[in-house]
Amino acid sequence: MGAFRLTRTYHFSAGHRLARAEFSELENARMFGQCHRQHGHNYAVEVTVEGTLDPATGMSADLGEVDAAVQKVLLERVDHYDLSSTVPELDGVISTGENLARAFWDWLEPVLAAGSLRRVAVVETENNAFEYFGAGDGVAR
Amino acid sequence: MSAGMVYATRKFTFSSAHRYWRDEWTLDENRRVFGHLTVVHGHNYTLEVTVRGHVDPQTGMVMDLAELKRVVGDAVLARFDHADLNRDAVFAAGQIPTTENLVRAIWDVLAPKLGAERLWRLRLWEDPTFHVEYFG
Repeated sequence: MGAFRLTRTYHFSAGHRLARAEFSELENARMFGQCHRQHGHNYAVEVTVEGTLDPATGMSADLGEVDAAVQKVLLERVDHYDLSSTVPELDGVISTGENLARAFWDWLEPVLAAGSLRRVAVVETENNAFEYFGAGDGVAR
Repeated sequence: MSAGMVYATRKFTFSSAHRYWRDEWTLDENRRVFGHLTVVHGHNYTLEVTVRGHVDPQTGMVMDLAELKRVVGDAVLARFDHADLNRDAVFAAGQIPTTENLVRAIWDVLAPKLGAERLWRLRLWEDPTFHVEYFG
């Protein structure tokens, strides 16, 4: 029997803009287009963990623990905040989907069961999604 | 034309009831481990079946999706749709009907019918916020 990969989807809403502090408004507009204006999204975050089956419970991960960890280190930090200015952990980070996926990975990896995190996906809109599989041998499958 | 394998996915939906419960445990133990899942409830499941293979030059297909629909319909939907999973033979024998065990049970009936080489992945959604992937 192989491993199981479990994916939970969470939602948060946040403001953001793409800008570099050292750039002028004009330079930011040139580099980031309409994304340099303050706006926001209803984000979805997909968290995938892998585990082997516990025959007694029929479960391969404790979803309650995953939910609690995501709530504590992710959702409470970002839900209804401005990712560009009111989340200290994101200071200096341009809040693209790519950077958010990497940041969320860094927040979640230490608090989930050791070695269980496989994938973090940030779904910014119905049209844009960003997946991160970690710096190690993470593979997109 | 590039000759690599192509992966084809078809979605199916079914609705089932279940509860998480171990007879040999006390009520308190069951509640501690399974919480509110000890109560009978149900879900609208979505099953994604991915088959892979080389494209048949005659048909342009990896697999006839009508055949896939018939196989999954007979082996999975007829068995689990509008059914109580706890009363199914595989779960009545003591397995908890979690999404993990259900996707594995579905794998076990589909793999021999579709071929272990051809069946690549099952993705089972319990609801829009939770799914499990199994590769056999």
